[in-house]
Amino acid sequence: MDNSLIVTVSEFIDLLNQTLEFAYPSISIIGELSDFKISKNKWIYFDLKDDKAKARFFGTVYQLPGPLKDGLMLKVRAIPHVHPQYGFSLTVQHIALSGEGSIKQASDLLKAKLIAEGLFADERKRSLPYPPSRIGLITSVESAAYTDFLKIINQRWGGLEIILNNVQVQGEPAIEQIIQAISQFNQMAYPPEVLVITRGGGSVDDLQIFNHELVTRSIAGSRIPTLVAIGHEQDVSLAELAADQRASTPSNAAELLVPDKNSVIEQLKMTRQQMTTHLLHSLQMVQITVADYKKTLQTEISQHITQSHNYLHSRSEIIALLDPQAILKRGYAIIFRQKHTLRQISDFRKDDLINIQLNDGSLEATVNNVIKM
Amino acid sequence: MPKKEINYNVLSAELDKVLVKLQDPATSLDKAIELFKRGQAIIKELETYLSQAENVIRTLSRERPKTDQ
Repeated sequence: MDNSLIVTVSEFIDLLNQTLEFAYPSISIIGELSDFKISKNKWIYFDLKDDKAKARFFGTVYQLPGPLKDGLMLKVRAIPHVHPQYGFSLTVQHIALSGEGSIKQASDLLKAKLIAEGLFADERKRSLPYPPSRIGLITSVESAAYTDFLKIINQRWGGLEIILNNVQVQGEPAIEQIIQAISQFNQMAYPPEVLVITRGGGSVDDLQIFNHELVTRSIAGSRIPTLVAIGHEQDVSLAELAADQRASTPSNAAELLVPDKNSVIEQLKMTRQQMTTHLLHSLQMVQITVADYKKTLQTEISQHITQSHNYLHSRSEIIALLDPQAILKRGYAIIFRQKHTLRQISDFRKDDLINIQLNDGSLEATVNNVIKM
Repeated sequence: MPKKEINYNVLSAELDKVLVKLQDPATSLDKAIELFKRGQAIIKELETYLSQAENVIRTLSRERPKTDQ
């Protein structure tokens, strides 16, 4: 007797899908990518395979972590499904790279693509305000990065407003959360002056979200300048390359963002000293100028006095030369007649009573004879 | 936050200008004294700010509308 269930083909497909949905509401499958195709720039089709089997996947380009090529190892979260016309496939929910080699290869592919677009070009880099007054911080409050960043920034500077957007910094949800956080800050009416996206070090797998194309593009597209600090020593992530500035660790991010207030206070003391020196110098300059004026004035006055003295001396010498008494001393005499000076022979007549003035006295005389030359 | 809202960058830039003018040999003594007094006041204000100002941390909720505040 045949006890098997009898159903139509459509019913069987529905039943199969219900069974699959119940058994595997979501499943992550690891395998090597093959036969990867993009259709109409929107749909993606690919197989994941291993040594013994392969499975077909279907999704959208928006789910791609970046450019992919056959041979890469992927971890794909998907929903198994049987299509009434096309048979079995897995509908993609999330694609991640699997294994360090594949992560590196995919990252290199994306890096080449973004470099060609000029996304990492130096010309795109903006300088960060130094120090900023408002910082948008995108990290996980549970991470050491959060604690380290705050510790250093609080040690170094004060008066900052730090707006935290608490996100996961690894795993699948981190991608959407970081993109959303960047977008949220950028849409604020009064946005922060700088965005800091940070996390501590981790495995290549942990850090692969910082090589995700959408995360990288979101950072590059931020209107607010960005500082990305991923605590690792090896390869620089694409997110860091897209940022306006990168820091090696969360602590280093804090150091790059703000000066050390103790150094600034020391610098202010030196500035105060410098100002005092400059003021004293100005005062000294004025004192020198005043002293110069004084000296010039003294020289001028002294010259005037000497000139006046010389003038008086020369005049007194002339006056001395013209003094009649000086002539008399040399043996000459002046002859008067009734107070009139007699200068030539025609002024004399015989028997005139004349007065002769000499250097040391005078005498009266009578003219006996007048002889003309 | 300090009680008096000051902008460090604005004051710091003003202090730089004061210093440049003070160094200029063409600046008169009267002006130099005025600049010196202003510079001293700025330094005092900055020192107070640096020694007293504290950082404020607030958390942005992802559930909130996209416009802030």
